[in-house]
Amino acid sequence: MNGQLRKLPLTGLLLLLVLAFLLDISAGAVRIPLHDIFRILLAPSPGDDASWSFIIEKIRLPKAITAVLAGCGLSVGGLQMQTLFRNPLADPGVLGITAGASLGVAAVLLSGGSMATIYAIKELSSPGSWLIAGAACVGAGGVMLLVLVLSGRLRDNVLMLIIGLMIGSITLALISIWQYFSNPEEVKDFLLWTFGSLGGVTGRQLLILGVTVLTGLVAAFLSSKMLDALLLGENYARSMGLTVRRARTIIVCTTSLLAGSITAFCGPIGFIGIAVPHLARLFFNTSSHRVLVPACCLIGTILLLLCDCISQWPGTQSVLPINIITSLVGAPLVILLLVRKRDLNVNAYR
Amino acid sequence: MINYLDVWGLKIIGNSDKWRLRQAVIFFVVLAAMFTDNRRLVFFFLSATAFAAGIGCRQPPAGRAADRPVTPRSTIRYAHGFRIDYYEGYRDVSIFDRKAGRTDTLHYLLVEKGVDPPANRPGLPVIVTPVQRMAVISSMHIAMAEFVGVADRITGLGSIQYVSSPIVRAGIRAGKVKQVGIDAGINNEAVIAMHPGVLIVMSNPGTGGGTYKTLTDAGIPVLPDADWLETTPLGRAEWVKLVAALVDRDETVETKFDSLARSYRRLADIGSHASPKPSVITDMPFKGTWYVPAGESFMAQFLRDAGANYHWSDTKGTGSLALGFEAVAPVALTADVWINLGNVDSKADVAAKDNRFGSLHPFQTGALYNYNRRINDLGSNDYWESGSMHPDLILADLIRILHPGLLPGDSLYYYKQLK
Amino acid sequence: MNAGSPLLYAKGLQTGYHPSGKKIVVTSGLPDLVIGSGRLICLLGANGSGKSTLLRTLAGLQSALGGTVEVGRATAVGGEMGRGGAMELADCRHLSPAEMARSISLVLTDRVGGANLNVYSLVALGRYPWSGWLGRLDQTDRAAIERAIVAAGIQDLRHRKIHTLSDGESQKVMLARALAQDTPVLMLDEPTAHLDLPSRIRLMRLLHHLTREMNKGILLSTHELDLALQVADEVWLLQTAGPLHKGAPEDMVLEGVFEAAFAGEDVVFDRTTGVFRISPEGERRIRLAGEGTIAFWTRRALQREGYVVGADMRADQLVRITEEMGATRWILETPDGSRSFGSIADLLRALAGVRKD
Repeated sequence: MNGQLRKLPLTGLLLLLVLAFLLDISAGAVRIPLHDIFRILLAPSPGDDASWSFIIEKIRLPKAITAVLAGCGLSVGGLQMQTLFRNPLADPGVLGITAGASLGVAAVLLSGGSMATIYAIKELSSPGSWLIAGAACVGAGGVMLLVLVLSGRLRDNVLMLIIGLMIGSITLALISIWQYFSNPEEVKDFLLWTFGSLGGVTGRQLLILGVTVLTGLVAAFLSSKMLDALLLGENYARSMGLTVRRARTIIVCTTSLLAGSITAFCGPIGFIGIAVPHLARLFFNTSSHRVLVPACCLIGTILLLLCDCISQWPGTQSVLPINIITSLVGAPLVILLLVRKRDLNVNAYR
Repeated sequence: MINYLDVWGLKIIGNSDKWRLRQAVIFFVVLAAMFTDNRRLVFFFLSATAFAAGIGCRQPPAGRAADRPVTPRSTIRYAHGFRIDYYEGYRDVSIFDRKAGRTDTLHYLLVEKGVDPPANRPGLPVIVTPVQRMAVISSMHIAMAEFVGVADRITGLGSIQYVSSPIVRAGIRAGKVKQVGIDAGINNEAVIAMHPGVLIVMSNPGTGGGTYKTLTDAGIPVLPDADWLETTPLGRAEWVKLVAALVDRDETVETKFDSLARSYRRLADIGSHASPKPSVITDMPFKGTWYVPAGESFMAQFLRDAGANYHWSDTKGTGSLALGFEAVAPVALTADVWINLGNVDSKADVAAKDNRFGSLHPFQTGALYNYNRRINDLGSNDYWESGSMHPDLILADLIRILHPGLLPGDSLYYYKQLK
Repeated sequence: MNAGSPLLYAKGLQTGYHPSGKKIVVTSGLPDLVIGSGRLICLLGANGSGKSTLLRTLAGLQSALGGTVEVGRATAVGGEMGRGGAMELADCRHLSPAEMARSISLVLTDRVGGANLNVYSLVALGRYPWSGWLGRLDQTDRAAIERAIVAAGIQDLRHRKIHTLSDGESQKVMLARALAQDTPVLMLDEPTAHLDLPSRIRLMRLLHHLTREMNKGILLSTHELDLALQVADEVWLLQTAGPLHKGAPEDMVLEGVFEAAFAGEDVVFDRTTGVFRISPEGERRIRLAGEGTIAFWTRRALQREGYVVGADMRADQLVRITEEMGATRWILETPDGSRSFGSIADLLRALAGVRKD
C-alpha cells in the first residue's frame, strides 16, 4: 500500500470534527471572538450584545447543526446506494429522490403556466418555508413509492438505476417547462433554492430534520450486515441468507428518508454523497459497514462543516451557495487522494 | 418605384418579372398591331402604354430630410441612458450602453412619415413616426404609454397576465391586444402579424439584436429600453420622453414631466431634510442570502430622498448587493422600518417564511410596509406599472411611512402596512 | 451423519423461467435427484443444456416451475459435520433464505468486486448465517474462518485485496468463503472455467478431499468430462431437451450413455480411453505389439495419424516396442523390411513416408 497515504487515526478525525465545528460557528460576516461565542452559548446573560446573541443562537448554531445532520445523512445515503448498486458513482439522488423533491418545490415556486391547482395552493399562503419543505417531501415521497413499486417487479438493480435516471430526466424537463412560463422573479427564487443552503432551518424545522436524519442513520447502521452481504452481489447475498427484496426495500426507504428530508430543508446538496464513502473507505481501509456508517458520518460532517466555513467567503459580507463549494472543494480532494493511492483498481467495482 | 403594372393590379408578381411582363406585353401588342395592319390600334396601345408608364413612375417626395439641427422639443435632464437630438424631419435617438468603462452608442432614427431618412446616416434602424401601433414588453411601458396618452395604441404585450391599466385590459378583453412573449421566447409570428410601428423591449443595449433579428429583418424596428439601469427614480421615469417622441407628443409630455419632476423635487427636499432619520431595511432574504439595493441604485436614491437612514447608502453598484443573512442581521435587529417585503401580505406570512423574522424589531413593532396595496383581481401589482411613472407618489408614501405627520394627509397610495 | 444420507432431495423437478407471466420450461421430466453426504456429484452437459438453471433451482436462487426441492435443516451452529443421525428434510419453499443459507452454500461464476475487501473479510462474510446482529464474529466464527482458509490453502493470501488476486486464487477464496459458511451441501457452478490445468486438478482434488474428510455433499457443474470421470462419485448428465442420466461415471461409460449423449458426426467417445476422439476414424490398419504406458501412447499417436490399431489385426505393418540398452526402440516391420526408431516422432515420419510410396 502507498506509504505516503497517512492513515488518520480515529482520534485525529474526532479532533478535526471538533475543530471544524468551532471554525464553522466562528465564521461569518460579523467578527465575534471565540470566548464570547462560548459565553453566549453556555452562560447567556441579559447583558450580552443582542445582535451577537441573535447571530450565534439563531444563525450560526442552527446552521452548524444542519451541516452536521446533512453531512451525516447525505454520506450514509450515498454509501448505501453505492453498496446496493455496486456502483462507485452512485449518490443518494440516484433513484430520482432529489429530482422528485426539486419537482415538488418547482411546483410551488414556479407558476407553470396554467397550473390552476398550484395557483390555488399558492393562494392559500405565500410559499413559506414549510410549504416548500412540504412540497419537497411530497415530491421525494412520490418518487420513492414509484421506485418501490417498480423495484418489486424488477430482478435487476441496474434497471432500478436506469429508472432513477429516467425519473431525473422527466422532472428536469417538467421543471424547465415551468421555468419557461414563469416570470424572472419566480425563476430566480427557484434557482436560489437549487443552489442549496444550510441556513434557515431553525426551531421546529431543525427538530424535524434532526429526528428524520437520526432515524435514517440508526436504520442504516442496523442494516450494516445486510449491506455487507450485498457487497458480493444479489446471488451470493441470497445464498448467504439475505431476503434480497426486503433488504432492497429497507435500503431504498432509509436512503429516501435521509435524502428526501435533507433536500426538503436544505435544497439539493451535491457531491457529499458520492465522495465521502470513498474517503471513508480510503481512510479506514475496510468494507465492513459497521465501521463505514459511523466513518461516513464523521467524514461527511467534517467536510460539510469546512465547506460551510468556506461558503461564508471569509473577509466579505456575502455568502456563496453551498453546492458550489462542495463541488469545488470536494472534487479536487477526491481526485488528489485517488491519484496518490496508486494501486486503486477501478475494475474492482465490476 | 411603383411599376405601372401595380396600377393594373398585378401586385403579386415580382419587380423583375413585372418588367419582363411589361416588355412582353408591349412586344405582343406591337406584333398584333402589325398583323392587324391597323395603325390607329397600334398608336392607341403604344400611347396607352407610355401614359401608364408615365403615371407609374414614382411621385417626387414631399421633401428630402436634411440633417440640419432644429430647436429641441424636449430636453433630457435626469436620465443618463439616452438622448434625443432633433433635426428637420427626424429625431436621432442615442441609447448609451455603459459597460466596463466603454460606452457603446446605439442610434435610432425616428423619421416623420413621408420623409426620406437622411442620406448621411445610412444603415441605422428607422422608425416611422408617429407610431400608430406598438408592441411593448414590460408593465412600465404600459405606464409610459398611459402617461403619454396613447395606451390604446398598444397592440401587443409581453405578457397579458398581469396588467393594471383599464384601457389595456379592455383592449385585451376585446382581443385587440395580444400576447407576444418575452426575450428569447418572443413569438415572432404574432409580432409580425400585428405589424406594429415599433417593438419596445427591455434589454441591455449591449446584448445585440440577435434575439430580434427575425423581426428587424421583417421590417419591424426594435427599440431597447434600458430605464432599469438608471440610478434615480426621475431618470427612470424620464424614459417616457422616448415614447413621447415615437408618437410625436414631445411638447405635451415635456410639460407633464416637468410638473412631475417639480413635484418630486419638492417632496425630496422635504424628505431629505427631515429628522430624525429612521433606519430602514428592505427586501426579504431567502435562506442565507439577503439581496439589498446597492448605494447607487434608484431604490437607495428613494430612501435618501425620503429621509431614511439606509445602512448601505454609500456602497457602490447600481443593482443589488448579495449579503449573507448574518451581515444584515445586526442592522435588521434594530431597524425602525422594514419595507418592500415582496410576496407577503400579513405578519403571519412573514413569520411563515422564516421564524427568525419574529426577532426583528420592525416585526415586533409592526412597522412592516409592503408595496402591494394596489393589486387588482388578476393579481397584478400596479406598483410595478403606474408606480414607475409616479415616483412622486412613491416618495410621498415613503415620507409618510418614515416621517408621519410631515406631509398633510396620511393615506398611502402604493404601500400598505402589513398586519 | 452417515455417509450417503440424503442432504438434498429433488422430486419431479421442472426448471425454467416465467418472465412476465409466460412460462418458459428449460428442463422437465427430471428423475429424483439426491445429494448425499460425502458424495461428489458432477453435473455435466453441453452449453445451453440448462445446467446453470438446474443448479440455481436446486440452490434456491430461483424457484422451480414444478416439483419440490427438499433440504436438510442444519441445526448445528457452526461446528464440525459428522454428527450422528440423519437430517430431516424440509421443503425449500417453506424455508426462509436464512435457513437455506445454513444448509447450502454456493460458489458461482459471478464476479465479485466489493471495493476494498480483503481476503479475510470476504471469507468472513461466509459466516453471515451464523454471525451476530451487526455481523459481529465470535470465537466459533473465527475458528470456522480459519478452518476454511486452511482447507482452501490460502493462508498467505489473507491480507490481499481481492482485486489483486489471480483467477485461481480468486476461485479458492470464494471456495473458502463457502466453506466458512459451514453447510452440509456445497454447490459450485463451473468452478474450473477460468483455471489453468494444475489449478483445475488441485481444485478437484480439494473437493474430493472435502467430501471424504468433512462429509459434505458437493454438487458441481462442469464441462470437463475427463476430470469428472476421475473424481465424481456420481454423474448427472443433462442433455438439451433430453432426459437426465445419472449414475456412477464408469457405469455410464460402459452403458454408452456418453456416446449417445454427444453423438455427432465428428464427435466420438472412446470407451477404452474415456476421452473424446478428435481425430477421424482411421482407415489403415496396423498391428502394435507391446504393453504398458509406452504402448498406450504409441497407440494414441498412431490413431492420430489415422490408423486403426490392434494386437491381432490382419495388417501389413507391425510396430514392435523393444528395449535396447535401456532405451526404448520402435521397430517398424513392413513387407519391405524393418526399421528401428528412437522416438515416436521418427516412427510417424517414416510411416508417412511409406504412405507416400
